[in-house]
Amino acid sequence: MTSNLFLRKVLGRLVRAVTISFWVMVISFLLIRLSPGDPAATRLGAGAEQEAVEALRKQLKLDVSPLEQFTSYTAGLFRGDLGVSLVNDVDVLETIRNTLPLTLTYIFLSVFFAFLISIPIATLIGWSNSASIVYSFRSITSVIIATPNFFIAMVGILLFSVQRDWAPVFGYVSEFPENLKYLWLPVSINTLILVAIISRVLQSSIVDTKSEEFVETGIIRGVGRTRFFFYYILKPSMAPTVVLLSYMMGTMLGATVILETIFSLPGIGRELVGAVLASDYPMVQGILLFFGVITVFLSFIGDLCAYALDRRVKI
Amino acid sequence: MKRIDTAAESSTRLQRIREWTALPGGFGIITGISMFLTITILGVIYPLISPYTSDEFVGDSFEPPSWAHPFGLDQLGRDVMTRTFAAVPADIGVAFLGVSIPLAIGTLIGIILGISKNKFFVSLVSSIIDGINAFPLLIIAIAMISFLGPGLFNVIIILTIMNWARYARIARTRAVVVLQQNYIEAAQLMGYSKRRIIFKHVTPNVSSESLAYALSDFILVIIIVSGLSFLGLAARPPAAEWGAMIADGRTYLGDAWWITIFPGVALCWSAISLSFIVEGLSRRDRGN
Amino acid sequence: MSNSLVSFKQLRIDVKVTRSRRLRIVDSATFDVEHGQLMGLIGESGSGKTMLCRSLIGTLGRRSAYIESGSVIFDGTNLVNATKSDWREIRGKKIGYIPQSALAGPNPVITIGDQLAEAINQGQKLDRETVHKRSIELLEMVQIRRPEIVLKQYSYQLSGGMKQRVMIACAIAQNPKLIVADEPTTGLDVTVQAEIMVLLKEIRKNLNTSIILVSHDLQLINSICDDVVVMHAGATVEKLPSEEIINALHPYTHALYNSRIDLVEPRGKLVTIKGQPPTVGAWPTGCRFADRCDFVQDKCLFGTQMELLKADTNHETACIRYDEVFLGAKK
Repeated sequence: MTSNLFLRKVLGRLVRAVTISFWVMVISFLLIRLSPGDPAATRLGAGAEQEAVEALRKQLKLDVSPLEQFTSYTAGLFRGDLGVSLVNDVDVLETIRNTLPLTLTYIFLSVFFAFLISIPIATLIGWSNSASIVYSFRSITSVIIATPNFFIAMVGILLFSVQRDWAPVFGYVSEFPENLKYLWLPVSINTLILVAIISRVLQSSIVDTKSEEFVETGIIRGVGRTRFFFYYILKPSMAPTVVLLSYMMGTMLGATVILETIFSLPGIGRELVGAVLASDYPMVQGILLFFGVITVFLSFIGDLCAYALDRRVKI
Repeated sequence: MKRIDTAAESSTRLQRIREWTALPGGFGIITGISMFLTITILGVIYPLISPYTSDEFVGDSFEPPSWAHPFGLDQLGRDVMTRTFAAVPADIGVAFLGVSIPLAIGTLIGIILGISKNKFFVSLVSSIIDGINAFPLLIIAIAMISFLGPGLFNVIIILTIMNWARYARIARTRAVVVLQQNYIEAAQLMGYSKRRIIFKHVTPNVSSESLAYALSDFILVIIIVSGLSFLGLAARPPAAEWGAMIADGRTYLGDAWWITIFPGVALCWSAISLSFIVEGLSRRDRGN
Repeated sequence: MSNSLVSFKQLRIDVKVTRSRRLRIVDSATFDVEHGQLMGLIGESGSGKTMLCRSLIGTLGRRSAYIESGSVIFDGTNLVNATKSDWREIRGKKIGYIPQSALAGPNPVITIGDQLAEAINQGQKLDRETVHKRSIELLEMVQIRRPEIVLKQYSYQLSGGMKQRVMIACAIAQNPKLIVADEPTTGLDVTVQAEIMVLLKEIRKNLNTSIILVSHDLQLINSICDDVVVMHAGATVEKLPSEEIINALHPYTHALYNSRIDLVEPRGKLVTIKGQPPTVGAWPTGCRFADRCDFVQDKCLFGTQMELLKADTNHETACIRYDEVFLGAKK
């Protein structure tokens, strides 16, 4: 019975994720039709020859009816065919496969460090009853959250790359020990912002948890210190944080686009900006679709984790 | 006699303001509002009183801050201070439109979804909303620029097309809750017309929540507008815009930090002022 | 001293509001609870009953409250000076606690079995077999069917009444001498409320513990308690055997009794107590019920008299005019 309910909930949430993914696909298909005029002509510029424009229209499959376009687009997706870049004829899926690992690496690094730093901060501040400490904590974090990441990055570059030679301004080497030299500054900036976000949510949910009735019963039952902290304070407070994080996935992926561009890290975000600047439509469409689907599934996983932590969570 | 009266009145008003400020979050709200007003007013007034225009070459490139040019001159010899304040309409103005238009459209659609009895229509629109919301706003804005072309006007269009869905979701959830409340039932029993119920009872109760979200969304949208310009996808040179100015200064960061830092501070100033207001309001809401 | 199990004497509890502001929640609480007695504690919200309970389980500090003066003697120990290790010996072991809202009582992120095990272990480590056997036994005592299954469940899988039964099972795990039940039926259906009350009565009988049962619902607890203590505005105003309630000697108790909703014998008009209870901490001098009392006289408005006056062997009241108003009327 228990496992049945769990399974049903998870399946229900999965169905939702798949449905949303379908709409994500439709939207990324439709976007190219939004462009005023002919995308092929726009890309080739005013002086292009008629034949070249026609050829490009054919390549972009714009020469058939919209319904046919959609069916061939969908069919392509199921074959794993996201199209081919207009700039260098590389397969879009291949490009995603090459650029994604770096993006994921540094997102996971920053999330990991952010939790490592946030948990003690949030616990200590959640524990202190001093209004001035809580107030300054909330003010400082709200300042960090409101500051655009590219400005933080600029200040970081000014301090660590320009004034001291601690971080290379750009470039990247993918071998293990050297890549840390290029990664530490962007990861730290991302971590800083995440710490501000996570510790805020965690702190306020720790304060909420503290006043819960079950904490009182835990004290009375004489639960040991460590167990009390993990099972009566931290675990019940984690679920809201994880839910938030799963909502934030999209924003976080968006933020990587800017950081990757600034530090010229060859990740998927920089690839997107490059494709946009080069009007490489299949590439833009493919990466956009990928971003949409991955956001949907990351938030699916996030919701599952939250639900596994605390069954009160609605998914 | 009359004088005394007005004095008494003004003192009570002052007192009332003081009491209001003393409530939880009052300080944050006041600070935030004054910071925000400062930057918007300077944005309107400074370009008028400044001896220079935003795209006028007034001196040597990279002239450091001085009394004549408190924020220094940029790589082309333009006055950074004038440019910084001239950028207010491009950032705050565009962001304001990018929030208020989706707010109006989204709330309307959300309320319609909340009261509609047509299940097919509701579930169709709701899944489109979910689909749109699945995309990170910055990512889809970047992608759409490749089809629409760069420019601040296009940014407003993109925000209108993509951001309404978030408001629609909030308004729909809220409308469903509000419609179940007793006072709506009471209004129905009293025989009020449907339109009156929707405009007098449902809309005000729904929009309070949407407005609260809009305020924090304002911060996000300011960051997105400037971020797009930073990437070279929104405001185009020589337009004065903070993100674009920061991107301009980036190459000369080592020699001429002022080109980057002053627009950056203005940008942070605006976003932070709003976040103080948001923070203060939520403190007031929680009552501590 | 008497050999009562619990004895409150002139207890004062303050709450720190800001660094310099204090708010008095309980001003004068004086009453005893005997061994094996089921004591009802009744009062409106803000009368200080919850804080009084917290003084018995040592969690005043969590609400930044503290005992300003007076004493709470439990089983020979003055709880006012209890150290951390004293508390470890007392709460959970000698004093069980049933929380206010059944719905939020159990920890949502660990199983019922784990929580019962904590209550059984109380910091030490018993072997699994013993713990398991005792858990089953406890769940059977609180009349939960299929205890084996419940042990593996989380609180969200249980109904409100089941949750509260589990909380009772935790509270009695150590055969405590006293159980403090702070409005244990808040948020439960009326039928479930009655079941819980019956269960408490049964547990008192089987384990021979004392129970302090807090409620704002006079009717609910009057039927099962031995004695009732009435609190108003931070002070105990009357203590009387529950069957004496119709002969109450304090106008407030009378008002409470008359404002009850009688489902069995509806009396047509619903009587309410006029006015609002005084603001916590901003209590007037003299009798704190004076503003709302029908029998108020000038002498009620002065003095700081809050001691209970002995009216009968088991009956104490704080009303200085009790003999004129009530006994006089009876004659």
